[in-house]
Amino acid sequence: MSESKKISWGVKIYRFFASFQLAVVCLSLLFLLTFFGTIEQKWNGLYGTIEKYFDLDSFIVIPTLASGKVIPIILPGAYWVIVVLSINMFLGGLVKARKGWKKAGTLVSHFAILFMLIAGAVSSVSKEEGKMIVYQGKKSDYAQMYHDFDIEVFRYDEKGDRETPAIIDTKYLTDLEPLHELEATFEKFDFIFQVDGFQKISELALASPDSKPQNDEEIVDGFFISKAEKNVKEEGMNMPGCYVTVKDNDGKAIQRLILWGGNPFPVSFSYEGARYGVSLLRKVWPMPFEVELHKTIGEYHPNTQIPRWFQSDITKVSDGEREDYEIVMNEPARHGGYTIFQADWSDNGDTPYSGFAIVKNPSDKWPEYALYVATLGLLFHFLSMLWRFAGGSSRKKSIPSAP
Amino acid sequence: MRHFVLLAAAATLLVSCGDPELSINVTETRPLTLYDQDYPGDLKDQPPVTWRRIPGTKFRIINYLAGKDGPVEIFLGESSGDVLGNANRWLGQFGLTPLQSQEFLGKMQMMDREAFIVEAKGTYVPGMGRPNQENSALIGVIRPSGSNIITLKMIGPADEVEAMREEFFQYVQSFTPIDVANLPDPEKS
Repeated sequence: MSESKKISWGVKIYRFFASFQLAVVCLSLLFLLTFFGTIEQKWNGLYGTIEKYFDLDSFIVIPTLASGKVIPIILPGAYWVIVVLSINMFLGGLVKARKGWKKAGTLVSHFAILFMLIAGAVSSVSKEEGKMIVYQGKKSDYAQMYHDFDIEVFRYDEKGDRETPAIIDTKYLTDLEPLHELEATFEKFDFIFQVDGFQKISELALASPDSKPQNDEEIVDGFFISKAEKNVKEEGMNMPGCYVTVKDNDGKAIQRLILWGGNPFPVSFSYEGARYGVSLLRKVWPMPFEVELHKTIGEYHPNTQIPRWFQSDITKVSDGEREDYEIVMNEPARHGGYTIFQADWSDNGDTPYSGFAIVKNPSDKWPEYALYVATLGLLFHFLSMLWRFAGGSSRKKSIPSAP
Repeated sequence: MRHFVLLAAAATLLVSCGDPELSINVTETRPLTLYDQDYPGDLKDQPPVTWRRIPGTKFRIINYLAGKDGPVEIFLGESSGDVLGNANRWLGQFGLTPLQSQEFLGKMQMMDREAFIVEAKGTYVPGMGRPNQENSALIGVIRPSGSNIITLKMIGPADEVEAMREEFFQYVQSFTPIDVANLPDPEKS
């Protein structure tokens, strides 16, 4: 009986996942993914590239050139390579590794690196991130997600105030193509929405003798949605757009609407004696606190509109408790699990504003802790090596020579 | 070869996972926030139920469509200039003689300030390459606001505009400036 037949499949799998070779393959793949991703970012944009290469849903990655030509290499998604690397690190770097005081430092370091990889996974699954814009002298209690767009539908009450909206979540819109028709019924309303003509990146144009639809786009209320080129330099400028037919509960069309992600205010329609507003907008993320912006100052790089530095004096208000902060670059404020740091500033226009990036990430501090632990582990390892080396040398010297 | 086929099958399966859902029942909601108290130009209005808000433009920060048979446009803008200059420009679009003084204009209150009423009837020449519209009418209000003016216009078929006259003046009265620094906390539902 040969050696290989004696080994069970379980052991084979264990050896495979714990192998040093697998670690080398994973690290090589991560190098390739980072290499192609960094290059592709130039024409695909940062967010688009992160989504393509590093997202949880990205199982296979085929790099492309600026011309759209495919580079004939099939790579696994980075997220899943990191999952395999984490298993490899656990089995090879912890379970299989030799134990004992001499190896304690490397074991601790391996554990810390594994913990850092897990922190990355937790972050990619549960991290929420948005931007809160506050004008000087005003306040805000919400942020808006960078890349997620929802459709919100709400009723106006008798005073003209908005009631709680119903939300067609971004997950239902992201994969829509122009020819798809999404039919939405509502728990709180008895009309039906049919969303169609969805363009992921679009422009809203006013139909006029100088600006006519070039591709038979439908004109609604004097406007039309046309497909636009992706703006890779300023991805925040990429806006979706679509059309909506509002139907009564018998399915009869009662109103056609045009929605565009860059439209700051809702469009409206009437249904059974009430007025309803509809918006296609960056997902609104309510905060458990308010930010009052008292003063914002900054400075641009010479001859640009790119801020060089900025600073904001704010008051954070939560449950009646007021706390003053001075937010400067790289010095965020924190509230519960939320981190608030200034990411933007502008004094163009009548009133200056600050853009605060708000991040809620349960694993926010984990990589920092992992780094401390890895540093301690390696320090212990190197010091113990040094100790052994020094001790070994002195022992060698004390060995008496043979008579 | 076998590996290639397996890989292709897996890729097809994964691609098909991206097909969107095309029929949904919407249950998601969120608490009200200060976003829900954001109004164009920080002006809260209360239009009649039958008016439909459409996207704004550079010169129309509030933009409505109304009317039974023909489209009546109601829109608000903020611009520089004086009352008389703007009133005469509007009258000129209907081929009417310019006024010598704003004292000839009707007056009303809008947001606790005196505002001037401009009315015209006839063939509307919108300019910008757009076709002329016969038998049209305009009711407009110009309200000085600091160094600027707020203009509110209703333009459309003459009979529709006339029918909506009262609605329009009620709408003018509905405007409330919003003190954005002291917004009340929205009801957290």
